Amino acid sequence: MPLFGKSQKSPAEVVKALKEAVNALERGDKKVEKAQEDVSKNLVHIKNMLYGTAEAEPQADIVVAQLAQELYNSNLLLLLVQNLSRIDFEGKKDVAQVFNNILRRQIGTRSPTVEYICTKPEILFTLMSGYEHQDIALNCGTMLRECARYEALAKIMIYSDDFYNFFRYVEVSTFDIASDAFSTFKELLTRHKILSAEFLEVNYDKVFSHYQRLLNSENYVTRRQSLKLLGELLLDRHNFTVMTRYISNPDNLKLMMNMLKEKSRNIQFEAFHVFKVFVANPNKPKPILDILLRNQEKLIEFLTRFHTDRSEDEQFNDEKAYLIKQIKELKSVHEN
Amino acid sequence: MATDLFPDLYPVGSVKGASERLGAVPSMDCSGVKLEIKGIFGCLRGNMRQPKTGALSAAAPVSTTDGQLKFQDTRFLTTLVLGRSRKISPDVLPACSPGIFRQKPFRLTTNQCATLPSLAHTYRNYSARGSKHSRLGTALAHKMASASSTAVVQGWPNTKDDYDLKEVIGVGATAVVHAAFCIPRQEKCAIKRINLEKWNTSMDELLKEIQAMSSCNHENVVTYYTSFVVKEELWLVLRLLEGGSLLDIIKHKTRTTNCKHGVFDEPTIATVLREVLKGLEYFHSNGQIHRDIKAGNILLGEDGTVQIADFGVSAWLATGRDLSRQKVRHTFVGTPCWMAPEVMEQVREDHGYDFKADIWSLGITAIEMASGTAPYHKYPPMKVLMLTLQNDPPTLDTAADDKDQYKAYGKTFRKMIVDCLQKDPTKRPTATELLKHPFFKKAKDKKYLQQTLVAIGPSLETRVQKASKRQPGTSGRLHRTVTGEWVWSSEEEDSGGSSDGEREEALPVNTIDNGSSEDEVVESEEDYGMVKPAQSHVVIQAAEQNVPINLVLRLRRPDAHFSCEENSKNQKRELNDIRFEFAVGIDSAEGIAAELVGAGLVDGKDIVVIAANLQKLIDSAGQLRTVTFSLNSGYAANEVPDDKALIGFAQISITD
Repeated sequence: MPLFGKSQKSPAEVVKALKEAVNALERGDKKVEKAQEDVSKNLVHIKNMLYGTAEAEPQADIVVAQLAQELYNSNLLLLLVQNLSRIDFEGKKDVAQVFNNILRRQIGTRSPTVEYICTKPEILFTLMSGYEHQDIALNCGTMLRECARYEALAKIMIYSDDFYNFFRYVEVSTFDIASDAFSTFKELLTRHKILSAEFLEVNYDKVFSHYQRLLNSENYVTRRQSLKLLGELLLDRHNFTVMTRYISNPDNLKLMMNMLKEKSRNIQFEAFHVFKVFVANPNKPKPILDILLRNQEKLIEFLTRFHTDRSEDEQFNDEKAYLIKQIKELKSVHEN
Repeated sequence: MATDLFPDLYPVGSVKGASERLGAVPSMDCSGVKLEIKGIFGCLRGNMRQPKTGALSAAAPVSTTDGQLKFQDTRFLTTLVLGRSRKISPDVLPACSPGIFRQKPFRLTTNQCATLPSLAHTYRNYSARGSKHSRLGTALAHKMASASSTAVVQGWPNTKDDYDLKEVIGVGATAVVHAAFCIPRQEKCAIKRINLEKWNTSMDELLKEIQAMSSCNHENVVTYYTSFVVKEELWLVLRLLEGGSLLDIIKHKTRTTNCKHGVFDEPTIATVLREVLKGLEYFHSNGQIHRDIKAGNILLGEDGTVQIADFGVSAWLATGRDLSRQKVRHTFVGTPCWMAPEVMEQVREDHGYDFKADIWSLGITAIEMASGTAPYHKYPPMKVLMLTLQNDPPTLDTAADDKDQYKAYGKTFRKMIVDCLQKDPTKRPTATELLKHPFFKKAKDKKYLQQTLVAIGPSLETRVQKASKRQPGTSGRLHRTVTGEWVWSSEEEDSGGSSDGEREEALPVNTIDNGSSEDEVVESEEDYGMVKPAQSHVVIQAAEQNVPINLVLRLRRPDAHFSCEENSKNQKRELNDIRFEFAVGIDSAEGIAAELVGAGLVDGKDIVVIAANLQKLIDSAGQLRTVTFSLNSGYAANEVPDDKALIGFAQISITD
């Protein structure tokens, strides 16, 4: 670094300097501290080029374009992500900011960084595995959710084997990491409707056998969040086929009926919103109908007393009344 | 949004509930958007939830589509909403919670560094190694998070049994804060236990708070260690700050000594505020706004460390931490007495606020540290909004009883306050600029605070007793929701302090009904004479048949005697239009009148006369359109009563 003021380094220079510093950090030789300092310094430099500072505006588009090009050519994004744990606290946040900014860059309707990452999917996989590491999990989450906004990148992620690691990540004991992973997981499954509908259809068995474990998790938050998401997924019209399949399986109905009786009112309430779909299905398969008929009286009694204090929630009460009516009339439907 | 999505199949109910409850992670698709899916059976069709209740607004026609009580004052572009169903929103970090501190798992505060010089080093080695390992294996995340038993330094454990819970040091609506001891680390900490079953807001709000904390690594920002789920509770492990909050110390000092001429000396104030500013500077550079800076949220360590706490309302300035994309926030939260005018004014979309709101709050906090209270602490929240917007910025002397009461405070200090409390946020200095203010040359070191604050503060035991006496929800803040409603949720700040600090006074909690308010949180419902409107769920439903009548009450503000002397003496009180709705069968004239008084819009003496005339108008069933009547509160000394000019008179009219 120059002694006097901030002389303007060119994008090529700053990328080169950062890359050398990260390499030194990775090698872990004696000068680790010096390397770490250099990494931080150059990251700040790049961040300021992209975002500007209180004193200086962000760099002109042409400079940013050069910078992006240098980042692609040098493979630095991957290198940064791979060495994220070694970078200091503020540096990690800077990496995420730089990454997200570059990712959002557009040329007309094109997103060059998205195209670049499509050719370097290791970046995505490295980020996903970031949830394994306490110290970088949230930084990786920030970058992953930005990636998940782009269909092409979301597709690579959900169709990878690594995607199933999310079922583990969302259940880790550190709440903030688990919740962050859950946000990303949810984003991947809900952001691009058609993509995720297709994915869920094709991988129905695998996904839902994993999902079942979340619904049965010992962790209250996991149960509550995953049940909520399940309701949302099933009620999304894009997932119609998936819903049809889900509500045809008597095991799923049993699970929901058990969840209706859980101690937690929040979970009961979420379960209600999945349970209602089973009842409202005009073409109930026989096993489903049988379960409902077998429990007809009990269900009517249960639902009549279910969350009666929600009297201000008209929609809920309408739905509940409708379910009770449906269940009452079940027999005749069956006989017809 | 979409109807007939299932043209011939399932009546699947609306996703509305689900999306609301999900509260939606950044995926904007599901938050806020109410999907209605109408099936052939129609019965499960989603109804837009519109609790139809009366509405009450000041000054401009407000479409109360959401059925909230609205006060709108066009002159100040302020919309105030009073909802019907009161609910105490979870007060994340009860502002009074004395002593919450935090620290990154791998970060050491200076005092700890002194005692454990080698820790930082060890950790670094550990984390470097750890990452190599796990890239090879598939170390279960479970393990990674709770692997602390072998090497103490590795992090904070995520199991309940590793902590020894001690005394309660704070109580909030949904959370209890304990002092605790981490057994494997042999280290003190604070544990905030949040009951998630009572947490009706989306889980993402919690996550945001925790992420805001965990993305900070600064000496003056509260230190978060870890968080984990225990049955239906979330446990946040934070650094324990034994000194308690600055508010605790202020209250204790004003109770035990004569503080008429000021609570703390200038060097103490300068020292504390300089630390707070350093924290804010870091915070802002991180792209965050705290939004609730006040003495109650400034915590002190035994060594004199100053930390900013309570991220409950802090917001990412920019979504996804993108500093360039969005420079302002449009929702708002805060505690009215400390709230910047532009934050209150949030009506127009193009008029957001940014970091500077924290600088205003810092200015109010400066006054608080000198005088013991925020300038408008005596008034109910709605009134505070009016005063803040209407009057010149408060000064040290605003709440003074005697002219020379605070003469001990010098020009530099007053100038610093003036700089912070400029109504135009662009004119306020940034945290970085303010740190260069000459006032902060008076700042001393931690040791000094140990003597002037920590040593004189209430003992932990005293605070514990108070904490347990404190009722859930005796604290609160006014927020404006994304949809524009103003919501008052409870809080610790009675700030009156004079009578006694522990009045179990809950402020009116008016909030949009999210359909799942628990009964027990409705307990604390008395307030500043705001009579609870006759409300029950049954009644609200009955309201559907009733079309509310729109009315306007026109009168001169009762507040001449509140505002600055110079302002009021020679000025005529302005006419105000207070618009409100009256739903026959739901609202009562007394109820509405009481709310008007409670909101500080009408003098208490006029409560009956207003109720009576309102009733007359309603009973006439359209025969009368306007009633004019004289007010008991009379008129100011410089005024002559006039029923045309409405001096000493008021008028209620039906507007539609």
